[in-house]
Amino acid sequence: MDCCLTWASAHLAQIVAILLPITMPLIVFQLLPLVVVMERRGAAFIQDRIGPHRAGLHLQLSSVKGVFTGEAGGLRLRAFGLIYNLTDIVKGLFKEDFVPPFANKPWYLIAPIIPVVIGILATAVLPWFAPFTTAYGQTVSGQIFAPEVGLLLLFALSSLSVYGIVLGSWASNSKYSLLGGMRASAMLISYEVSMGLAILGMLLIVGSFSLTDVVEWQANHTWGIVVQPVGFLLFLVSMFAETCRTPFDVTEGDSEIVGGFHTEYAGIRFMLFMSGEYFHILVASTLIATLFLGGYQLLPVPGFGTAWLKANLPLVVCGFTTITAIGLFVAVKLILGRRAHWAKRNSTDTALRVREYSFYATVLSLAAVGALALGIAVAALWHPQPVSGTIAAGTAIWPNSVNIVTAILQIHILLGKALLLAGLFVWVRWTVPRFRYDQIMGLGWKVMLNVALVNLVLTAVIAKLVKGG
Amino acid sequence: MAKTIPRPETGLWEQIYVIEIMKGLRTTFGHLFKSLTDPGHFPTTSYPEEIHDLPRDYRARHRLMQRADGSPRCVACYMCSTACPARCINIVAEESPDANIEKRPAKFEIDLLLCVFCGYCVEACPCDAIRMDTKIGVLVGDNRADFVIDKAKLMDWKPADYPADDTQSQKAPGGTLNAQALAELHGGTRAGAPTATGAGHGQGH
Repeated sequence: MDCCLTWASAHLAQIVAILLPITMPLIVFQLLPLVVVMERRGAAFIQDRIGPHRAGLHLQLSSVKGVFTGEAGGLRLRAFGLIYNLTDIVKGLFKEDFVPPFANKPWYLIAPIIPVVIGILATAVLPWFAPFTTAYGQTVSGQIFAPEVGLLLLFALSSLSVYGIVLGSWASNSKYSLLGGMRASAMLISYEVSMGLAILGMLLIVGSFSLTDVVEWQANHTWGIVVQPVGFLLFLVSMFAETCRTPFDVTEGDSEIVGGFHTEYAGIRFMLFMSGEYFHILVASTLIATLFLGGYQLLPVPGFGTAWLKANLPLVVCGFTTITAIGLFVAVKLILGRRAHWAKRNSTDTALRVREYSFYATVLSLAAVGALALGIAVAALWHPQPVSGTIAAGTAIWPNSVNIVTAILQIHILLGKALLLAGLFVWVRWTVPRFRYDQIMGLGWKVMLNVALVNLVLTAVIAKLVKGG
Repeated sequence: MAKTIPRPETGLWEQIYVIEIMKGLRTTFGHLFKSLTDPGHFPTTSYPEEIHDLPRDYRARHRLMQRADGSPRCVACYMCSTACPARCINIVAEESPDANIEKRPAKFEIDLLLCVFCGYCVEACPCDAIRMDTKIGVLVGDNRADFVIDKAKLMDWKPADYPADDTQSQKAPGGTLNAQALAELHGGTRAGAPTATGAGHGQGH
């Protein structure tokens, strides 16, 4: 055990360099089903519907007679609509991979892959945790690939995903698809300018293009949204346009041009387009969080940066698990409310529903208690610097554990912010109606560009006055 | 003259958009919150596990009313099939064994695929023999023949499914007022009427 830890300490930078490019895209990828469920059920709940909730795994546990099994046929797990992702993928894979006879076949086949690949590539540039120095003096970067011009690279990648849309629409060789693709390319130039200008104010203040520098500046001062509220708003709106989300989803424009760029697509290729869109939402949310919401930093107050996190790690972990437990208990409360509701409804599957909700409530309660216990155990037993008075006093602790736990915590903080922002994307989608095509042009060129320019000039003047030099 | 609808006046706040969008977001969040916390507020029902209760006067699939002895109340007068705008009722009459009653339906068929569920047959019926209060709103069949329902199927219903205070309905076999109805029918309570059991002397009224 000891020699393993020593070896791991000596080669931590290499291990992270191998693990990070594998895990980060996967971690973001496995958030896709969550965002899809957020979209579907969120849409339904905002519209006072129940939403898709039928697909479920039916477990026949007749051999195990317990609380959750009964005569009415086992346990049904619908997992709040998550099972739909499974059924969707199965459906998509088993559908015929149809290529329209009039389509340009090679490009038609390649186009849906582009947005997903771009999304995966974009995770390479984002800083997921603060760079740290290991016990052996190696420097571990929080980015998979950390160029000086990280932000520009990210912008380039992000804009490239429009190429998937344009290529797909062109290769489909259909009028509706072409209209969607043309709208996408025209929209691209109208918001891309103000997007770049919106971010320039922030970069001017920070004085670097590196995303890690941006986050570190926010840790030392305050979050970007406080110093650049106008820039944040402009960037947010630009990101809605870049991800082709309502109110700027004219590229799909289902009420006008059937399905827009994906009219001719079906099966798994259509789903690739869709998952590319949701991947893009997640990447865009992470980028907004990185630039304006402090990235992987916990609080918008200077002095509570990475160093503070590391010094108070047990308490922070305890706080995290407590918050998790509270969230889980709230979820249990909601589930119990649903169980009570269904128990008194006259439905043929009442028993099945009640049993299912009981199962969820039990599992989540246990998880909450487990989280609480973990937090208390960490706070009581584990201390980064073994001090007298704690149970861990005198025990040698692997010095890199602090760094690693901090990194994992920071990934969670960043992804949590990104998920909240993805929720905002969904929330806005079901609130604001779609802009007309010319209205987007007007907004982009006549309003956002001017506001971004004024914001940039004002920021430059104030930065000069404050900073001097 | 064309009616001109003036564009609504928008002030500076509305034109800036941001505040108005935030108001919209507040509205939608209210719905989201309510949907999350109060499962009872969804106006939908989970069909087919739960079936929405139809009102009794909903024009659903037909049924034929019965006399106390179980025979159809229909006298095969053809008034319903005459009133039917869809011509979906097919009746074949035959002589009734009951001396008081002239005819009875040998065949009573309704083609539900033709039926427009207008309820004219119910209104036309002079002896309350056909009703549309079964609450059967969903009709399922594998072929067209399944949707042509005959006399036996029209009379296949349970008195317990219908309101107890409807004495007409409950006079059917098995109903609570069945004994009383049988007594009325055969006990000669109708003034001047010959007994129903006798055959061959039907000059009563």
